[in-house]
Amino acid sequence: MIYEQDRTENLDACIKCSACTAMCPVAAVNPLFPGPKVLGPDAERFRLEGLQIGAALLNYCSKCRTCEITCPSGVKITEMITRAQENAKLSGSGKNLQSNIRDYLFGRAEYLGKLATILPGLTNTLLRTPLFRQVLEQALGISSEAPLPTYRKKFNPFGEGHKNRKQVVYFPGCFVTYNDPPTGHAITKVLEHNGYEVIVPPFHCCSTPLEGNGYVREAKETAKKNLALMNPYIRAGVPLITGCTSCGTALKEYAGLDVSASELQAYDLFEFLWALHEQSEFRTDFKEVQVSLGYHSSCHLKAQGIGTPSVRLLRLIPGVRVTDLDQGCCGLSGSYGFKKEKYDTAMQIGNPVFERVRHGVANDEFQSVITECGGCQVQIRHGSGTETFHPVWVLMQAYGLE
Amino acid sequence: MKDYQVVIVGGGATGVGILRDLSMRGISALLLEQGDLAHGTSSRFHGLLHSGGRYAVKDPQSAAECIDENLILKKIAPHCISDTGGWFVQTKDDSPGYVEEWIKSCAGAHIPIREVSISEACRKEPLMDKNVLRVFEVPDATVDGFRIVWANARSARHYNGEFRTYHQAERLVTDKGQVTGVAVRNLLNGHQFTVHCDIVVNAAGAWASQLAGSIGIPLDVICDKGTLLAFNQRLFHRVVNRLRPSGDGDIFVPHETITILGTTSQFVDSPEDNDPQQEEVRSLLEIGEQLLPGIMKNRIIRAFSGIRPLHREDHDVPGVKEEGRNVSRSFALIDHELQDGIKGLISIVGGKFTTYRLMAEKVSDRVAEKLGNTTPCHTAEEDLLPEIPEHVYKKAARLLPYAPVEKMLERLQEDAEDVLKEIEQTPHKGQMLCECEMVSMAEVEKAASDEDTHHLADIRRKTRLGMGTCQGAFCTYRALPLLWQKKEKYDSLDEELRNFLNQRWKGIRPVLWGQQLRETELTRAIYSGILQFTEN
Ligand SMILES: Cc1cc2nc3c(=O)[nH]c(=O)nc-3n(C[C@H](O)[C@H](O)[C@H](O)COP(=O)(O)OP(=O)(O)OC[C@H]3O[C@@H](n4cnc5c(N)ncnc54)[C@H](O)[C@@H]3O)c2cc1C
Ligand code: SF4
Ligand code: SF4
Repeated sequence: MIYEQDRTENLDACIKCSACTAMCPVAAVNPLFPGPKVLGPDAERFRLEGLQIGAALLNYCSKCRTCEITCPSGVKITEMITRAQENAKLSGSGKNLQSNIRDYLFGRAEYLGKLATILPGLTNTLLRTPLFRQVLEQALGISSEAPLPTYRKKFNPFGEGHKNRKQVVYFPGCFVTYNDPPTGHAITKVLEHNGYEVIVPPFHCCSTPLEGNGYVREAKETAKKNLALMNPYIRAGVPLITGCTSCGTALKEYAGLDVSASELQAYDLFEFLWALHEQSEFRTDFKEVQVSLGYHSSCHLKAQGIGTPSVRLLRLIPGVRVTDLDQGCCGLSGSYGFKKEKYDTAMQIGNPVFERVRHGVANDEFQSVITECGGCQVQIRHGSGTETFHPVWVLMQAYGLE
Repeated sequence: MKDYQVVIVGGGATGVGILRDLSMRGISALLLEQGDLAHGTSSRFHGLLHSGGRYAVKDPQSAAECIDENLILKKIAPHCISDTGGWFVQTKDDSPGYVEEWIKSCAGAHIPIREVSISEACRKEPLMDKNVLRVFEVPDATVDGFRIVWANARSARHYNGEFRTYHQAERLVTDKGQVTGVAVRNLLNGHQFTVHCDIVVNAAGAWASQLAGSIGIPLDVICDKGTLLAFNQRLFHRVVNRLRPSGDGDIFVPHETITILGTTSQFVDSPEDNDPQQEEVRSLLEIGEQLLPGIMKNRIIRAFSGIRPLHREDHDVPGVKEEGRNVSRSFALIDHELQDGIKGLISIVGGKFTTYRLMAEKVSDRVAEKLGNTTPCHTAEEDLLPEIPEHVYKKAARLLPYAPVEKMLERLQEDAEDVLKEIEQTPHKGQMLCECEMVSMAEVEKAASDEDTHHLADIRRKTRLGMGTCQGAFCTYRALPLLWQKKEKYDSLDEELRNFLNQRWKGIRPVLWGQQLRETELTRAIYSGILQFTEN
């Protein structure tokens, strides 16, 4: 009832201004995609009548959430689209078997990661084999051109273990766990350097990939499992930190599931560090780091509405110059750009970012790119040929922790 | 010299029903309508295809008529009807004694009912009050007034029936105690002329007494105003009625993309007296709250009022309260030859939308008898509209991948293929000109160029343009260039825009709060700010 009433009021809030569609990165490059207003609040009124509107088009939404942060009325557009996608899936319209299997797999980044990291070397060799990629494209609709990330030996959070009065819970997320454990270690070290004990319960996937691929119910289940793991820390007032912006968006939305917004203290890593800085608790014993960087802010960071704390923080380090690229979405959006029918759209969306990066590098404005999101890193590397990494690495250098 | 055997005055459901019936019997007929078809009560109503449940206790004859017609219309006009089903819901304020009486009366009128468990009810209608006591399912449905009126008109035309919109019957013409024709004015160009015929059928609804009065015949029709609220979305999946003696504000009807709550009942002096008032809105919300808790939180996009034509005769019984709902809603067929000694005039007054076909049958039987025509009525058997062919559906779905194409095809009927061809040739015309109700540019263009479209409001009735959430904020200015292409037919664009926005404003004013207020401010910014369109 509460939920139904919220849903009803949220749909009523739309005043049809079209701001959301004007800012949607997919609508900007794909003329066949009618955009968030049509597929969200417009279609919703017909869906309530039992009509499936544009079921096949729903999957073209990349779930970047640009529409939601743009909307002046707070309409949960992406949520509407995701729910419609799930209903279309349940009623069997709008998709074929191939993309169903694929989206099933992509929705389960955690299982994919677990499988792949049993023998990461083999997985990576296979993923780099053109023939295998052809097979993936034919069989599962995964683009053979897309920059599938490499798998590494699984992130092992234990072993650092400094005991301390001050604690944080760290949520590494699937990308760090299966594809980029070193970044996980770096984040742990930076937090420890600032006097925190870092606790990493055996978390599951944050649920963003499930939602992104239209599995709303399962996403909620997974979120609840994670909440159960966090519960003792939440009760003890221990903050929850993640360095992945998609996980961050998801974690912040756990509020309302089994925990209230006031209890749940979820932070993006740099949001947390900046808050420490404001309380003069952040260590600024930096070495000079002579580096020029281009900064790309991910859509899911924007969705959190916290500005760009990493840029502010890195600019405290002597010698560091950061240019905000400000070219919108990179196009990948989780697994979106890996899908063969969306690869071109994804590359087109990302094109302004890639152009800007190439231009910046050619003119010596900066040498490499930083961005918090693992997916963006992979895509920008792929699209621009420029080295791209998580901003925590700059801190590592400045602290001399590398 | 006569032009037609019969002239029908009034292009509401009743009038077009008669036109179809007579035309199918091979009787030549012309229908005159002073506005657009269905611009009277037949588009200002609740949209409920009654099962009869509402009348079962008080008026068993009406109830029996309703259930019969309900089943007939579902069969012959499925494209105009949404078979939602309906519930009668007893709240703690409703008397258990009445419930028992109602159950018996439904059996008497052969209205099938099924009791629904409270848990099933709460699951199926999550917004409904959880404290209701008993719930019964009945075969209520919803009916699209515009569509069914047009379907009748089209079907009649197929049988050589004719109709003229924006033609007002100014006066009846008589010769030696017999009505021989109608003096007509074409309201678009002011031309006046007389149409001669054997019989005039007065189906002018709430205006019926004016027409009869033009030759001094007294016909007592009470104008009973009912106000309705349109919510922004479907709040219930089915019709929800209160299980109690009929009263104000106790029916929710999910209609197309919206929900309609109503209605009030108040006698007014004239059929034009249809401005919804704030007082009525408040009383509707108070009663609606009992079935839909937190009703004030739901966005209302407009209020509107219709005028029920009630026949005074039926309630000329001493002791009946001077209140609209106690006047019979069963209809009266008045043969003025028997009543007033004037030949050639038949009036049909009262009734319900649900029973329009039956009323038309009764009138047509009488007319046919007088004309010596013995062809029986076939309107209950023959489908009102042809099936939409599968290949047209497929083509529409391909060309308009994100539109509710069934609705579009049902609206367009035989014009569908033209519109689709246009979209195929000029793909940008497949864009939605009215985004809230998802009406494509090609469809609006078609409606704008129709010979019987004369104002933007006519396009609205044909397409649903401007009837959704934004209430014309965006589609009104978008439609203007399409009117311009046929500018000889329309008033100046300035005038069209002003009239259309003012009509929308009339319905918004009494519900101006919350999100609709924000919307209205946006509309004002567009028209007064950007387009510099000044007051009045
Ligand atoms: C608020 C409300 C809710 C209702 N809800 C329901 C419901 O849910 N279900 C149901 O079954 N019924 C309902 N009704 C009743 C139903 O709407 C009416 O009974 C029905 O629409 C009447 O149709 P009609 O053709 O007789 O009249 P109208 O539709 O009013 O048609 C009469 C037409 O005659 C034209 N006319 C008048 N004078 C002239 C003239 N001199 N020359 C040319 N044309 C002329 C008018 O312009 C008008 O278009 C409701 C009524 C109201 C008021
Ligand atoms: S989530 Fe992103 S891609 Fe999807 S509709 Fe919104 S802005 Fe467009
Ligand atoms: S931005 Fe928000 S209010 Fe505007 S059209 Fe989109 S959903 Fe509606």
